[in-house]
Amino acid sequence: MTLTILAFALSGLLMAGGAAVVALTRDLMRMVIGLGTFLLGVAGMFLFYGQAFLATAQVFVYVGGVLVLFVFAVMVVHRSSGGRPVLESRHDIGAAVIALGVSGMVILSLQDSVGGWLPASASGGAAIATELLGGHLVVFELLGALLLAALVAVLVIVGAGERR
Amino acid sequence: MTALVLCSLVFGVGLYVVLTRREIIAILAGVELMLGSANILLVALASFAGADGGVIGSVALAVLVVAAAEAAVGLALVVSLARRSKRSRVEELLEVKG
Repeated sequence: MTLTILAFALSGLLMAGGAAVVALTRDLMRMVIGLGTFLLGVAGMFLFYGQAFLATAQVFVYVGGVLVLFVFAVMVVHRSSGGRPVLESRHDIGAAVIALGVSGMVILSLQDSVGGWLPASASGGAAIATELLGGHLVVFELLGALLLAALVAVLVIVGAGERR
Repeated sequence: MTALVLCSLVFGVGLYVVLTRREIIAILAGVELMLGSANILLVALASFAGADGGVIGSVALAVLVVAAAEAAVGLALVVSLARRSKRSRVEELLEVKG
């Protein structure tokens, strides 16, 4: 139980720390590193809730894929703008009040749905594969089509700039 | 309850980033914060409700795939804008017309 609590605390710290870095830093690369820390924390949370396959997919797809895309985009924007990009923020009390209000509303509306400490349900990759390739095969195929459409869209968007 | 508070606060931080940052890449990072925390909240609530682990995993995987596609298209737009017109901030996009 102690190890479980420690794992939850570590994942939560990674999530909160990464999110704080994304919100507060002025350096674009530090922001990307903060985002990576947050995504690792999310993978840890998936592990905590017994979703080992999701945690692996999170690390592969996000920390290994999307984060590299972010670094690539920062490099391209940095080269194009001719200087190290510094993040500007309009830190104002109104935005903070709106964000806190939304957080409070989520907590108030869902507080009755959460009980206990550690959920019992856990699943491996086999259970998810059974669901995806069984009753949710159409959804699975649609997700594949969505990814293909996103890939083609990325090629069209970036390729159009290349031809000019 | 701890997971609910943590995910809600991180969702609020993501919303704050979206509302206050001016760089499009930073706004996309804020959207990723919101999607990640919402996905964790989905898994946590479904687990507490006693849903089947395979169903939870497949729904969360769908959210993950949609979020990855959104990030890829968004970053492609950022790169394309930066290469065409050296623009990377939201205010500068107000001048863009179709």
